[in-house]
Amino acid sequence: MIEIKNLHAKVAGREILKGINLTVKAGEVHAIMGPNGSGKSTLAQVLSGHPAYEVTDGQVIFEGQDLLDMEPEERAHAGVFLAFQYPVEIPGVSNSYFLKAGLNEIRKSRGLEELDSMQFLKLLKEKMKVVEMDSSFINRPVNEGFSGGEKKRNEILQMAVLEPKLAILDETDSGLDIDALKIVAQGVNKLKSPSNATIVVTHYQRLLNYIIPDFVHVLVNGKIVKSGGKELALELEANGYDFVKEELMQTT
Amino acid sequence: MVEVTKHYVSEFQAFEKNGARNAPAWVHDLRKDGLTIFNQLGFPTTKQEEWKYTNVTPIAKGTFKYSGSAVTIDDEVIKNFLLDGVEQFVLTFVNGHFVPEQSQTNGLPEGVIVQNLINAYAAQENIIQENLSRYATHQKNPFTALNTAFINDGAFIHVPAHIAVEKPIHLLFLSTKNVNDQSASYIRNLIVVEEGAKANILLSYRSAGEHRNLTNSVTEVIAKKDSAVEVVKVQKESESAFHIDNFHAHQHETSDVRVFSLALGGAIARNDMSVIIDGEAAECNLNGLYIVAGEQLIDHHTFMHHIHPNCPSHELFKGILTDNARAVFNGKVYVESEAQKTDSKQTNRNLLLSDTAIVDTKPELEIFADDVKCTHGAAVGGMNESHSFYLKTRGITEESAKGILTVGFAAEATSKIVHPALRRHVDLLVVEHLREKLHSASLPDIVHA
Repeated sequence: MIEIKNLHAKVAGREILKGINLTVKAGEVHAIMGPNGSGKSTLAQVLSGHPAYEVTDGQVIFEGQDLLDMEPEERAHAGVFLAFQYPVEIPGVSNSYFLKAGLNEIRKSRGLEELDSMQFLKLLKEKMKVVEMDSSFINRPVNEGFSGGEKKRNEILQMAVLEPKLAILDETDSGLDIDALKIVAQGVNKLKSPSNATIVVTHYQRLLNYIIPDFVHVLVNGKIVKSGGKELALELEANGYDFVKEELMQTT
Repeated sequence: MVEVTKHYVSEFQAFEKNGARNAPAWVHDLRKDGLTIFNQLGFPTTKQEEWKYTNVTPIAKGTFKYSGSAVTIDDEVIKNFLLDGVEQFVLTFVNGHFVPEQSQTNGLPEGVIVQNLINAYAAQENIIQENLSRYATHQKNPFTALNTAFINDGAFIHVPAHIAVEKPIHLLFLSTKNVNDQSASYIRNLIVVEEGAKANILLSYRSAGEHRNLTNSVTEVIAKKDSAVEVVKVQKESESAFHIDNFHAHQHETSDVRVFSLALGGAIARNDMSVIIDGEAAECNLNGLYIVAGEQLIDHHTFMHHIHPNCPSHELFKGILTDNARAVFNGKVYVESEAQKTDSKQTNRNLLLSDTAIVDTKPELEIFADDVKCTHGAAVGGMNESHSFYLKTRGITEESAKGILTVGFAAEATSKIVHPALRRHVDLLVVEHLREKLHSASLPDIVHA
């Protein structure tokens, strides 16, 4: 589905990603773990096309297309979705209008007919069940006054509506209590299928108790330094990131 | 200034001789007083702090003529300015003169008076005399003084105690080309909402055609104990017109007053909006939206006066500017020493869509009580990049994102209007105006429902 080769990127003149290599196939869940400042969120932002990040080297092929050559909205049309670590509040724009606009642009780009208000509302209500969201959120301005947990649920609701091929969850567990975490994780699991893939970016192992990854990668200082199965996450939880760093020191 | 005011002295003499004679004697005295004060004050200059950013020389230089009588406007034209598909009570004025044929007040609850001032004197003189010019003092404001000199017609609304008028009362003030190009309309409104009563009022200032006129309007609203009043003002006059409005609300205890100012038209438009919260636990929401383009200048000066304890007041004014337009927002909040537990919030946010548009925004807080919560904030900037990026990651194109965020920026302000029909009316006007001014037919209709 996605192939990241030797990806280098910098922000504000500072190099953050220093040669990332990662391949994710359909049906897989990959977790990217790492200490603060290792470049996890940068990777998520670069993949979604944030203009503040400059790619200086490398390649990203998504479904046969050069992802880095595409605008953020074109990436969304192609099926990339980023669940934000800090979803922005947009006063004046209702959640439902926002989602309908996004969905219809994606449908249009794929030659599908746009949904009218009635059709969309029906779909939205169905999808809201996935994340156990109250219908009062439909007409509230996007994320405005939402709690941390509500914002994250809203991200997963958007993912449910837009049905991406590749979902990148950026620190979706941060700021969530255990109940909210379970609901968010269940939502993600319900949306999982053999034809889509998920990249879970997280600092803590906690989320991975509920979203079981097929692969775990450890990102340190802008590079993936270790990859393994789900047991790697437990190892990190038990020993901290220092053990990976120590291992690195020994091998180099 | 003598040369300038001379024109208005001769105008005044003609005015008092012509048709305006039939007012009660005390109105004549009031007018004379207004003229005397105007002569003393003259037009304001940018040397005065209150007028620092708004130069009214084009108004002072123009010899605007009082238009003696109403001009007939086609019903079809009038229809364009009404609330679409909504039952409403309407008083129509053209160039300041009442047009009974295009007014409709059938079905008002018993005892409610919605009349033009001239016709109201006969039965309502006492209440008019008690309140008119009581709050809109003309001692310091030359435009209020000039308006007072030319007090003739406008709307008089009286809602008796414990009566709710749910349907909007629409006061439509149209300006149109008169015999001469530069006509002056003086509008004077008095709105009294008694104890426990409720009213929703739309003040529309609109132009039929493009012309350089002067509208000078003064409105006084008195909200008695426990009353609830929502006033929405829509100003979309001709873009070469001058619009000066002095709006005064006087609140008694536990009253709830909401005011919204939508300012779209005029070459120079100045809105002085003052609220005196003169009673405990009264609440005021004073909000507005201005959209300025071309060479326009739109100025809002607000004044929130807290006298008593436990009163919340909220102000949100937003502006969208493009081309070489200018906007001024000056928000004064005055909290007297008795007004403990005041909760006052003021926000002014401006979206600049060109490099050459200018905003002057200034909060002015004077607080003499020690146990209060008073906040203010002002922001001026371009399109929010993080908002735009968020929308794009959901598949929304750059162009659409811009449109949605612009309409959304405006909608945050208009969402403060509570009456659904009034809000809808304002939202439609906003989008229509934005499409025209931003040359973007693709702007979405509504982004909040």
